[in-house]
Amino acid sequence: MFYQVDVKSDAEVQVVESGLCWLTGVWYVTLACPCFFPVLSSSRFHLIPRLSNIVPESCLLITVGLLVGGLIRLAGEKVPPVLNSHLFFLCLLPPIILDAGYFLPIRPFMENLGTILMFAVVGTVWNSFFIGGLLYAVCQITPAPSSLHQLELLPCLLFGSIISAEIHINELLHILVFGESLLNDAVTVVLYHLFEEYSGVGTVTVLDGVLGVISFLVVSLGGVLVGAIYGILAAFTSRFTSHIRVIEPLFVFVYSYMAYLSAEMFHLSGIMALIACGAVMRPYVEANISHKSHTTIKYFLKMWSSVSETLIFIFLGVATVDGDHSWNWTFVTVTVILCLVARVIGVVGLTYVINKFRIVKLTTKDQFIIAYGGLRGAIAFSLGFLLDRDVFPKRDLFLTAIITVIFFTVFVQGMTIKPLVELLAVKKKQEAKRSINEEIHTQFLDHLLTGIEDICGHYGHHHWKDKLNRFNKKYIKKCLIAGERSKEPQLIAFYHKMEMKQAIELVESGGGVKLPSAMPSTVSMQNIQPKKPPPAKPVERALPQLPKGREEEIRKILRSNLQRTRQRLRSYNRHTLVADPYEDGFGDLLIKKQKMIELEKKIKEMNNYLTVPAAPPDSPTMCRARLASDPQSYSVKPSSGDVPTIQVDLASPQSPDSVNLLDELKRADQQKQDEDQGLMMRPPSREGRANKQGEVESSKEQQKLMRCLSDPGPSADEEEEDEPFLP
Amino acid sequence: MGSSSSRLDRVPGAKDLMEETGFSETNILCLYDRFEVLDREERGYLRLEDFEAIQQLAVNPIGDRIIGAFVFPGRETLDFPSFVRVLAHFRPTDTTWSRSGSQPEPANSRTRKLRFAFSLYDQDGDGKISRAELTEMLQAMLGMQVTDEQLQSIVGRAIQEADLDRDGAISFDEFKKMAASGQTGLKSVSSIMYRTKQQQQQQQYICGEGGTEQVHLKHSCQTLMFIFC
Repeated sequence: MFYQVDVKSDAEVQVVESGLCWLTGVWYVTLACPCFFPVLSSSRFHLIPRLSNIVPESCLLITVGLLVGGLIRLAGEKVPPVLNSHLFFLCLLPPIILDAGYFLPIRPFMENLGTILMFAVVGTVWNSFFIGGLLYAVCQITPAPSSLHQLELLPCLLFGSIISAEIHINELLHILVFGESLLNDAVTVVLYHLFEEYSGVGTVTVLDGVLGVISFLVVSLGGVLVGAIYGILAAFTSRFTSHIRVIEPLFVFVYSYMAYLSAEMFHLSGIMALIACGAVMRPYVEANISHKSHTTIKYFLKMWSSVSETLIFIFLGVATVDGDHSWNWTFVTVTVILCLVARVIGVVGLTYVINKFRIVKLTTKDQFIIAYGGLRGAIAFSLGFLLDRDVFPKRDLFLTAIITVIFFTVFVQGMTIKPLVELLAVKKKQEAKRSINEEIHTQFLDHLLTGIEDICGHYGHHHWKDKLNRFNKKYIKKCLIAGERSKEPQLIAFYHKMEMKQAIELVESGGGVKLPSAMPSTVSMQNIQPKKPPPAKPVERALPQLPKGREEEIRKILRSNLQRTRQRLRSYNRHTLVADPYEDGFGDLLIKKQKMIELEKKIKEMNNYLTVPAAPPDSPTMCRARLASDPQSYSVKPSSGDVPTIQVDLASPQSPDSVNLLDELKRADQQKQDEDQGLMMRPPSREGRANKQGEVESSKEQQKLMRCLSDPGPSADEEEEDEPFLP
Repeated sequence: MGSSSSRLDRVPGAKDLMEETGFSETNILCLYDRFEVLDREERGYLRLEDFEAIQQLAVNPIGDRIIGAFVFPGRETLDFPSFVRVLAHFRPTDTTWSRSGSQPEPANSRTRKLRFAFSLYDQDGDGKISRAELTEMLQAMLGMQVTDEQLQSIVGRAIQEADLDRDGAISFDEFKKMAASGQTGLKSVSSIMYRTKQQQQQQQYICGEGGTEQVHLKHSCQTLMFIFC
C-alpha cells in the first residue's frame, strides 16, 4: 500500500495551496462528525425509536455522507480528497482490526478454527473466481456496449477479489461469521495484490499460480508470526510497568501498531499481524496491568474503532456523490446478483464439506445467517479506490459497481436481517456470564479428555493442548507476568475477576451507602494496619456489646482521624495518578459492607459471647501512618455526608434488631444477583462455616480490589493484610 | 473381508461388544491392540499397575480418578469388554437413536456421558457431589498454588450457583442443568473417539500387516479423517 500512487495528489496540492476555502471547512466539519454523530444518532433514536429498529447505523452514516457530498457537489467544488490509501490503511483500518483482535474470544475461535479458515480462505477464493469468471463470461456475451468486451479476465478476477471482501462490522452473533470476517480481510488483501501483480505482468502461467499460492501462505503466516513476536514483546514490557501505570495503555497500542507497520513493510499481511499481536499479548498483559489501564485500553479501542467505522461510511457516501462514475446497467446488476449467488453457493457447498468433519453440525439456519450476513464494505471500496487508472481502464466502472454492491448489502441486507433473524427464531448467543461452575467444569473436562486420550495412546487435540498449557505455565508465564500473579492458576484469576466485578456492581448499585456503619468502620481501620493483631480481636470487636464510654472514645478518635486526613496536603505530581476519591470510597464501602455481613453472621453464631472489645488507642495513628506512606492510594475521605457516624446499632441475638439488620442488607442487596444475595444472606444455620469463609475470602478480594483500584504495585504488604481475616 | 474377520476372532466376544457399544469393527480392533499394548505381561486383563504405568496419566491431576472409573473399586482386574464399555461413553452421540424403550440407553447418550463425568466427581457414590468432594476435586486440579480460603470460597460459590434445591450438594439433575446451560462443550467429550481410531489405524498401517489389510485400513482412515471441532 505504501507504493500506491495517490492519483489525486495533484488536486490535493492545489487545494491546499489555494488556502482553506469555506467548503474545505465544511469538509473538515464533516470529518468531525464522528465525534458527535453517534450522540446525535442515539438521541435521534430516542426521538424516533422505530427508526433505530429498522435502519442500521451504517445506513444512516452513508446517508450523511451522501448529503455532505451532495452539498459539496452542488457548490461545484472539488471535494478535498481525504480518502487515500495512506489514510485508510494507516489510520482508519488498524483500530477496527485491533479492537476485533484484542477482544477475540480465544477458546471458541480456536475450537472452530478449521471451519473459520475454510470459510475465510476457500470461501473468498471461490467468491472471487466465481464472480470474476462469470463477469468475464457475461461481458463477452453481451452484445450491447462494446466497451465491455475489453474487459479482460484478470481485471475481472481482481474485481471479484475486491468484491468478496467483507466488512468486519458484523452484527451477527456467531463466532464463525466474526472469525471469518476477520480472516477474510487478510485473504482479500492478499488476493488483491496477487491479481494486481499479475495484471501488471500481462500473462499468467501455471508457475505463477503456484507461486501465488505459496506467497499467500507466506504472507499470512508471516503476518501471524510478526504479530506474535510483537505480542510477546508487549507482554514482556508490561511486566515491568508497575511503576509507570499511566502509560501502560500506550504500550499496548504502540506495539500493536508497530506490528501492523512492520508487517506491511515486509509486504506481509498487516491485518493478520495485528490480530495475532492482540490475541497473543492479551492474557499476559491483562495479568500485569492495573485495573484502570485495562479499562482505558478497552474504552479507547472501542472508541477508535467506532470512529473509524463512522468515518469510513461517511467517505463512502461522499465518494459516491462525487466520484466519476461510469454506469453500466449490465455490469452492475450482474455483479450484484452474482455476489449473492456466489455467496449462497459458497456457503452451502462449504458447509456440506465441513459438516462431515464437525461434531456439532451447522444447521440450515446457521448457513442462512452466514450467507446473508456477509456485508461487503469498506475494504472493498478502498481497494477499488486504489486501482491505478492506467492499468485498469475500467476503474470507474468497477468503482461504481462496488459502490452499488455495498449500498445494496448495507441497506437492503442490513435492514432486513434483523426481522429475518427474529423470524427464523435463531437462537441468540447467550450473553451469559461465565459462571465459576462452567470454568471448573471446562477445566475438568479438559483433564478428563486428556487422560482418556492417554489411555487410548492417542496424541490428539487435547494432548497437545494440555502440553501447550503446561509449557505456558512453566516457562512463558514466568517470563511474561510480573510478580506473584505468574503462579496464579487460571481458575483463581477468573474467580478474582468475577468477585471484583460483582463487588463493583454492588457498590454501583448503591448498596453500600445505605448501611449503618458502626462497628465496620472501626473494624475496617483495624484491618488495614500492617501489624498482625491477634486473630481473635476482630471477631470480638464485631460483637454487639459495647460499654458507653468505649463507644464515645471510638467515635472521637475516628472523627478526629478522619478530619485530619482530609486536611492533609498532598503534592501534586503530573505523572502520578491521582486516586479517584469516588473509587476509594468503593473500597471502604465494600469493606464496610463485608464487615456488616460478618457482624451479622457472628451475631447469629456466637450468641453468648460477651467480650469487651478493646480498641487500641494507637490504631488510628497506625492507620494514618500507613495512609500517609502511600500518597496515591488513600485520598480525601468521602465527604461529610458520607462520613460514617458511629451509631452503635447493636443487635442482640434474640432481639428483632437482627431481623432489621437482615432487612437492611436485603434492601441493599436487592439489585444484586441472586447468587450474591444467597451467599451473603442465607442464615448461617445452613451454610455456617461456608459463608464465613466465603466472606473472609471476599473481603480479601476487596483488599485486592483496593490494590487494583489504587494502583500501587504488587508489594509484600498484601501478604500481611491477609492475616487479620483469618478466623 | 476374510482377513479382517479372522482378526476379529482374536478378540473375545467382539460381535456382542460391537452390538452393545456401537463401535465398528476397526474400532474394536484398534482398542484391542491398545489393550494388548497396555497389558504388557499378556495376562488378558489389566490391573491398576498397568494404568499407572501410563506416564501422562501420572501428571494428570485427575488421573487417579480416571483410573478409578475404569477399574471399579472392589475389582482387581479389568478385562477387555469392560475396557471397551467404559470407552464407549466417548463415542459421538447418535442423533438417530430414539428412546424406543426396549433397548437400554446406549453408553454414548448424553445422559450417560454426564453420568460418567458425575461419577468422577462423586467418589463415594452417594449420588451427590458434596462440598468435600468438590473441594477435593478442585484441590487436585489447582494443586498447591491456592490457599485454603480461596479454595473454600470458590467451592462455596460453585455449590451455591449450582445447587438449586439448597441442600448443600449438587445432585445429578443439577449437574445436568449446569452442563446444559453452560457452553462447556460437552460435545468435546464425543470428539475424542473419532481421532483415536484414526491415529491407531495409522499406527497399524505404518507397522504394516499385510496387503489386503492395509487397503482395508486405509479405506477406514479416509472415512474417519481428521476433524475440526
